[in-house]
Amino acid sequence: MTARIDIDCATVDELAAAHGLGAVEDSEANAIDRHLDGCPQPHAEARELIAAASLVPAALEPVAPSAALRGRLMATVAATPQDHRAPVRAPTPRAVIAEPMVVPRRSWWQFGPLPSALAAVALAAAVGLGAWGVSLNGQLAERDAALRAVASADAAYVVEGEAGRGWVIESGDQAMFMADGLADLAAGQLYEFWLIDGDGNLVAAGTLTDTDGVALVTLERALDDATTFAVTVETERVEQSTNDPVMVGALGA
Amino acid sequence: MNEVRRADAQLADRMRTGDTEALGELYDRYAGMAVATAHRVVGGREEAEDVVHDAFVAVWRKIDRFDSERGSLRAWLMTVVRNRAIDRVRARRTSVDLDDADERSLLRTGPNPTWEAALTRASAGDVRSAMAALPDEQRRALELAYFEGYTYREVADLTGVPAGTANGRLRLALGKLRDALSGTTAAPLPFQETPLRKDLSR
Repeated sequence: MTARIDIDCATVDELAAAHGLGAVEDSEANAIDRHLDGCPQPHAEARELIAAASLVPAALEPVAPSAALRGRLMATVAATPQDHRAPVRAPTPRAVIAEPMVVPRRSWWQFGPLPSALAAVALAAAVGLGAWGVSLNGQLAERDAALRAVASADAAYVVEGEAGRGWVIESGDQAMFMADGLADLAAGQLYEFWLIDGDGNLVAAGTLTDTDGVALVTLERALDDATTFAVTVETERVEQSTNDPVMVGALGA
Repeated sequence: MNEVRRADAQLADRMRTGDTEALGELYDRYAGMAVATAHRVVGGREEAEDVVHDAFVAVWRKIDRFDSERGSLRAWLMTVVRNRAIDRVRARRTSVDLDDADERSLLRTGPNPTWEAALTRASAGDVRSAMAALPDEQRRALELAYFEGYTYREVADLTGVPAGTANGRLRLALGKLRDALSGTTAAPLPFQETPLRKDLSR
């Protein structure tokens, strides 16, 4: 996040060339863009200089891409929903490998099941909850709820990634997500939970906006035939996500 | 709207409807310039292609935010390529929010009627000649900024001059580039479609 600054017409004109060349700080770039977007002055010279910068790449001799790049790009695009179009479903591995010589990047929802031993995971959860109880004395009710969930669990699965480490606890037809010390969210962001089946279909399973301390969320649906649980960061609840997950875990052994 | 922008706008309209072949055509037009730019910035061929791949995917994802009446698709694409390449070389310093940067770039690629006319007339050779004609210190400042991702203040430090001088060199360099190209009468910048297709084994 960059600090918001405001600049005057003279500064915009002074920095226009540097701005066009991407040679100002982000805060200055944002301020110049905002100024040009709303200023009644024409700033013709500044706009020309900014436009002139877009021709700099034309001074380079074109470099022919490798033969594989186009195929790789088209395969990725075929599997990438556009932001304004809700995808019908996540791609299957067969759809991604659309052309020979293409080495598709592995989509996060195509993680295969990871081995998971319930006893070891439950122990890990208990250890985690012990630390939780020590650090969060004021949240005994939540801790107790979490402990009850663990005590009645039919299965528990580790979920981890850059946002931290947590567990999906399955108890009968219900499932909960719990974690301690999840990474803080920026303003306007939320965590969204996903269940993914073996064909790569994603289903939203809930959200979490408050990461102050513990996370203890009852998922909106049972795990059923889901094989993967994932967490993404979004700016609002969405029905399909194109963001990389910040936590992933396999469900089932 | 000139011919190049009109053709790009048509591609953008098709991409907006989910037409992946339109993205392929955009790639055929600009991949050579995109790879050249990324390669110039990051140095490695494989990494440059990763940058170009990611830039085209970003344009595909965000195409609905592009307004052909307000901006140039080519300029936006090349800015996305450049931003992503610079982000790689800046990784040891600071990282930018690329999603945010992609969308902010839309504001910087707005049309300018005077410049649009110049761009239509300019050839790639004209651009190279104009760059070559710049005084060394101005060309160096421009290259440090555009291709190496330094701010004008960092350019000043690297070249041992005050920040105002570095900024002034960038202004002079771009101003001369603009003036040189606005007076050209050569053939328009080619799409590169024909020569590039020869190099693609599809």
